[in-house]
Amino acid sequence: MIRQPNAILGNDGLLVTMGRKGDILGLFYPRRDHAQHVEESLACIHTGEKLLWTNDNEWHSIQNYIEDTNIVSTKLYHDSGIRISILDLVHSEVPVLIRRFKVQSQKKISGKFFYYSNFNVGETSKKNSGFCDTDARLLIQYWQNYYIGIHSLPEFTEWQIGKAMDTIWWTNSKYDMEDGKLQRNKEDIGNINNAAGWNLELEANGATEFVIMIGAASSRNLLYKRMYELSKMSLEYIFEKTREYWVMWLSKKKVLKMPGLVGHENLRQELFSAYNRSLLMLDLLQDREYGSFVAAPEFDSNFEKCGGYGFCWNRDTAEIVLALKHSGYPEYCDMFFKWSIRTQLPNGSWFQRYWLNGDTAPSWGNFDYSTQIDETGSTLYAMNVYYRILEGLKKIEFLDEVWVSVLRAAEYLMKKTKSGLHESCMDLWETYYGIFTYTNAAIYAGLMGASNLAEENEESGMAKRWKKRAEFIKKATIDRLWLQEGYFAKGIINEKLDKTVDSSILSAYIPFGMLSPKDPIERDMILFMIKNIMKKLSVPINKSYGIKRYENDSYIDGNPWIVTTLWLSGAMFALALDIPSEKAIFSPMYDIPYEKEKSNIENVEDLTNEGIKCLKWALAGATSTGLLPEQVDKSTGKPAWAIPLGWSGSLMLDNILLLDKICVRKAGKTEKS
Amino acid sequence: MVKDLFMFAGFNENSQIVWFKIIYSKKPGSLSLITDFLEKENAFIMFGHLDNITQKTGEYLIYTELNENMDPANLAQKITSVEVVIEVDYGISKYGMIYSVDFPLNVIGVRGVTARALTIVDIIKTLNQSVPHAEGLLTVSGLKGGIHAAKYFKSIMPINDSNYANVLAELYRAVGWGILEIECDPKTYEGKIIVKDSFIADVYGSADQPVCAFMSGYFAGYLTDYFGKNISVREVSCKVTGKKVCEHVISLAPSSVSQEFQIRGTPSDQAT
Repeated sequence: MIRQPNAILGNDGLLVTMGRKGDILGLFYPRRDHAQHVEESLACIHTGEKLLWTNDNEWHSIQNYIEDTNIVSTKLYHDSGIRISILDLVHSEVPVLIRRFKVQSQKKISGKFFYYSNFNVGETSKKNSGFCDTDARLLIQYWQNYYIGIHSLPEFTEWQIGKAMDTIWWTNSKYDMEDGKLQRNKEDIGNINNAAGWNLELEANGATEFVIMIGAASSRNLLYKRMYELSKMSLEYIFEKTREYWVMWLSKKKVLKMPGLVGHENLRQELFSAYNRSLLMLDLLQDREYGSFVAAPEFDSNFEKCGGYGFCWNRDTAEIVLALKHSGYPEYCDMFFKWSIRTQLPNGSWFQRYWLNGDTAPSWGNFDYSTQIDETGSTLYAMNVYYRILEGLKKIEFLDEVWVSVLRAAEYLMKKTKSGLHESCMDLWETYYGIFTYTNAAIYAGLMGASNLAEENEESGMAKRWKKRAEFIKKATIDRLWLQEGYFAKGIINEKLDKTVDSSILSAYIPFGMLSPKDPIERDMILFMIKNIMKKLSVPINKSYGIKRYENDSYIDGNPWIVTTLWLSGAMFALALDIPSEKAIFSPMYDIPYEKEKSNIENVEDLTNEGIKCLKWALAGATSTGLLPEQVDKSTGKPAWAIPLGWSGSLMLDNILLLDKICVRKAGKTEKS
Repeated sequence: MVKDLFMFAGFNENSQIVWFKIIYSKKPGSLSLITDFLEKENAFIMFGHLDNITQKTGEYLIYTELNENMDPANLAQKITSVEVVIEVDYGISKYGMIYSVDFPLNVIGVRGVTARALTIVDIIKTLNQSVPHAEGLLTVSGLKGGIHAAKYFKSIMPINDSNYANVLAELYRAVGWGILEIECDPKTYEGKIIVKDSFIADVYGSADQPVCAFMSGYFAGYLTDYFGKNISVREVSCKVTGKKVCEHVISLAPSSVSQEFQIRGTPSDQAT
């Protein structure tokens, strides 16, 4: 069953995904991609008459993060007057989720508070084993060397370990709670579930608290010790330590100034929050040991409706680590490139996607014709961008470290682009085979980056050769794929020019820089592309418009995407910064460039304002906790599909940093004048 | 539910099937006035039912077979002119196959649908072939339905030891699931249910193992809710294995934990 999270939290070894009503949807330990140990884990209340599951429709919820942290607050309101406040945090040092439930009721209650879990430890429902240690008051379920345990304060007074899906249904913990008391079975094996129970005696308007700790460990002994040590600490202490950890982590960020922004009420604060949230979210997607990132926490592990997202794509991660670097966190680049050196294939390319430990992931890109060459281009491009910001010894060491990898990747790209355009492969959307503008732009950027690295490594022969090929690719792409209608074709599919408008053609400008706004002709090309994408791919929703991937997109109903919309706004912001001082050009919406004679500053204003519209649209599509999804539902305007998507977060960072530059530059000009 | 169904086995191109929903004021002789009128108009009543909406008004729902040239709108207008009639609605079953006046259907208090037995059995077969713990899953699914049925019946009528089994049997027959013979001692909670013409077993084909886990679960849910005790129901013989009927054994689920029972479902009547 596919369920989308509304919040995520975690630490180095644990990633938790959570529904909007505080139900745990995923518990990933020890890696972000494996293993996911939870099918269901949530609280319920037996009122003395009936069982109220906290994820039922009868509850209304408000969920958000505690500011500048990955600590989640969920408030649940039931029509009967019961209110539950849940505070969720993952301890900063050990893989333990700590959940504080504060239960209040307007009416007197004489019932039970239950905490129910259906663990699939080791990501399997088979051959699990569960037991309740009544002395240590620990409910533990394990499979091989994965141990998941529940401890509580106050200690639970009743429990059940039962079969989750069996003909002996009365042992099932889910049903055992129905009568308001648990059978206290102490152990079972197979596909099992568990419940812990406490007496819930509340006077009218009374309140009480339960703290539940869900811990993970690689051995029984370690789990016992962890839970025991944690149980001696006060929740207030753990909360403060955790809050402090995240605030300190966030204090390393590049500080935004964002002066001005006249006429955009509250936007400055919203952008500050989105900036912080994107940083905090991206940190949770990274594997600390290997430096790789999941595209999104997995939510479709059976590949029921898509190919899954809990893997590392070089395409996404190259953008993520660069965004983090621009935001003040260069260490993610360093780790990812080390991982990339290790995972590069013998032919010099990178695979479609990987498990976080570097093993090749389930793929539909196993052949030359189905590989995605752009990922090799993106990785080389990102290595060079990172190299350029390094200084001193670090610069020399990095180049030495990546050089062989760069050489192999560049030669792979050379082999694939003999005719100027790349050989047939799969596109970035993983849907079509052919030759694509996006892929050519990525290869161009990869070879230009490699050329610079070669130059720096005193390999001028290679540098010239790679640069010459990059320029050849650029010329071939423009000659064969640029259309007189004013945009690049999507590509060549089945040997025919595919004129579909595809938002990814913007990559020719950002991020890959194949077109330069410093050249008047290329600047016009960029503007024409922007105009055509707005005209053909805008989807009106949430009082503005988002951009879908391409015309006639049918993936998950052809919704507009955050990534594509932020590409557009990013292009607008970048162009606003790049526009030279001579007379220029932008006429918003669907007018033809050059028709309006405007002053340069007005054009910068137009670009900025139109970009801000897109940025606001992306913010409106976030979850209540501020997480950016992959898509926004075109009918409801709600976040859709993968949540949170790292790529969306990285583009939000890029956009905000660009807008910050625009604001600072504008403020400087205003001061001078 | 079944009350509103009108099922035609054939198709007569010279006639049309028309339903009329007639709201009328309840007075002595009201219904006679309506039926007499319809007879005069040559509207052949094929099926009808009465619903007492309020103490003063009633709903009379009829299906009629009319000559193809007859205008149903005109007839509805005429019916409205009958003194006791308050309101008339009508509809035409163009192809005369299955028709229901009320939409959506209602089955014991919640929305219902009609389906071919094979449609449901295809789902069950797919689960059995592809899903781990399919038997448990079907048991648990049935359990929910049985619990709902018991709760619903308790809410609309007194259910006691003298009628709980008959109510269940009547329901099974009405929805076409099978013919039940129930023997269960309300003191020991032990007994058995014979299912003749189980809709699952009838269309499943042959199999090595019993396939009516959904029904076992349904019985368990119904009896558990009625008795207020966890009841185990296990199918011990099934028509798909070559038996004449399906048999489900009823027993009280063990309250204490028997290890061998927990580890693998030992027959519940042997476990304690």
